[in-house]
Amino acid sequence: MSVIEVKNLCKTFKVKKKEKGLKGSLKSLWKPKYKKIEAVQDISFSVEKGEMIAFIGPNGAGKSTTIKMLTGILYPDSGDISILGFDPKKERKNLAYEIGTVFGQKEQLWTHLTPYDNFKFFGAIYDIPEQAVEKKIEELKGLFELEDFINTPVRNLSLGQRIRCEIVASLIHNPKILFLDEPTIGLDPVVKENIRSLIKRMNKEYKTTVFLTSHDVGDIEKLCKRVVIVNHGKLVLDDSMENLKYHYLNKKIVEAKMKEKVNLEGEDGISILKDKGYNLKIEVDTKKKSVADALKLLNPDNIVDINISNIPLEDIISDIYQGEEK
Amino acid sequence: MLTVVKNQVKVTLLNIKYALMREMLNKTTFITNIVFMILNNACFIVQWIILYSIKDNVGGYTFKEVMLLWGIAAGTYGVSHFFFEKAYTLADTITEGKLDVFLVQPKNVLLSAITSDVKTSALGDILYGFFMCFIATLTGIQFFLFFFFCITGGIILTSFAVILGSLSFWIQKADMIADTGNGLMTNFATYPDGIFKGVVKVLLFTIVPVGFINYIPIKILVSFQLDVFLLIIVIMFFVVFLAFFIFNRGLKRYSSSNLMNARI
Repeated sequence: MSVIEVKNLCKTFKVKKKEKGLKGSLKSLWKPKYKKIEAVQDISFSVEKGEMIAFIGPNGAGKSTTIKMLTGILYPDSGDISILGFDPKKERKNLAYEIGTVFGQKEQLWTHLTPYDNFKFFGAIYDIPEQAVEKKIEELKGLFELEDFINTPVRNLSLGQRIRCEIVASLIHNPKILFLDEPTIGLDPVVKENIRSLIKRMNKEYKTTVFLTSHDVGDIEKLCKRVVIVNHGKLVLDDSMENLKYHYLNKKIVEAKMKEKVNLEGEDGISILKDKGYNLKIEVDTKKKSVADALKLLNPDNIVDINISNIPLEDIISDIYQGEEK
Repeated sequence: MLTVVKNQVKVTLLNIKYALMREMLNKTTFITNIVFMILNNACFIVQWIILYSIKDNVGGYTFKEVMLLWGIAAGTYGVSHFFFEKAYTLADTITEGKLDVFLVQPKNVLLSAITSDVKTSALGDILYGFFMCFIATLTGIQFFLFFFFCITGGIILTSFAVILGSLSFWIQKADMIADTGNGLMTNFATYPDGIFKGVVKVLLFTIVPVGFINYIPIKILVSFQLDVFLLIIVIMFFVVFLAFFIFNRGLKRYSSSNLMNARI
């Protein structure tokens, strides 16, 4: 069952064009010129119940604009959106009861209040009876490990603790869909990992559909089974994470420590990434040469230690972005 | 429907309560803000004392009526700025994309946005307003009317600020227009309307509706007229409706922003 259905969604922004300097400002004062930016162009997709989907793209691709249209913040120019059967344009309030949002760059919590007071406030916003809020706070406090700082004012929390509280605040009303817009922005790797595992646990526990936008490949790889890529406002790819890796992982990275130096220069299907004498790092294009053939060239008896890995997902995504641009 | 209104009022009051709690974080700043505002307002009345020592009547107002004018001006300003302070920075809230937080909540966006901050010094204005009312020795009914007009005036003043702030949905840098418009309202509010003639007087009862906030209430306080009293209520509902209408129309043009911000 689809909980999110988007058909031919479009959004254009009118932006003032200005030449540089004071002269440009004066000119634009008398004769303003505008340009149209097509932030989202004819995007269509759907999301099933309980799915964790990554909605990714480079800066300015139209990710945030799309998420804002899905949550009722922005009005689309054309196209249809149905979130749990609600049209965000006409039924913003009804929709808000059913969805949760976390914007990594925008804080929803009152910083002078403790997380506990904030959660109570959010309970009131969603018209939840006192007792039910208390019960929910108790439940989420355990799930998101907030025991140590639930009574500390938000302004005194670390960024990681704050994001955890932001997520809890957005879950207080049991939303069916959680929209996460760059939830791990600015966090260190340990905290990021912690947030990811908590989101995963939440998805498992409450079957919440997660719609995630992030620039962090780790978020996407570890949380989502499906990836939707947008670039220049258009949908570039909508595929499962598995397929994405399978179709685009035709390159392997081989790092080897050798007994003797090997010269692989000019070999078809092999590019040398690093050659420090006995330590070699090569990229093997498996369409041209199999990994086994590459290993033969290295001579297995000559290898002291070896590590074969896929190319990072980050590179795959960036290749897809660049391919689209070409 | 009644539950919806009840819940909206509950959240609005919570918004104001938490915003007040934030202002009360520092006791000294909180108290001095209030006291200095009372002193600031008191300074202006001195010039009127001097003026009335020379003349008995200015613009058709006696000294007592001027005190009432100041009382209502301070009271309405106080009510508006204390409960709805964010109405005065609505233009910035719109252009900086700070409505996002309120748009994802199942409550009225405008009410949530304008009640998300309080101005401590406005409490000084409210206290000063009642102090003036005390000096003017009002009767019980007059005191009730004074209290009532502080609320209607505060609501009209806020609605006017919302209308001006909402221009930001259509016009860039509308904050400057809003500041000028709101400044005009405050400046005209403390002078007897008898000194204004012609076009200015028409403006004071139309585009800059100070007349319905200050001048007519003073006249009702001096001599009660039911029809004029009801007119004030009708005007208040009309301006409130207009403010909501313009804001909601503008909301369709809201473009948000990706500026990083925090609710501090």
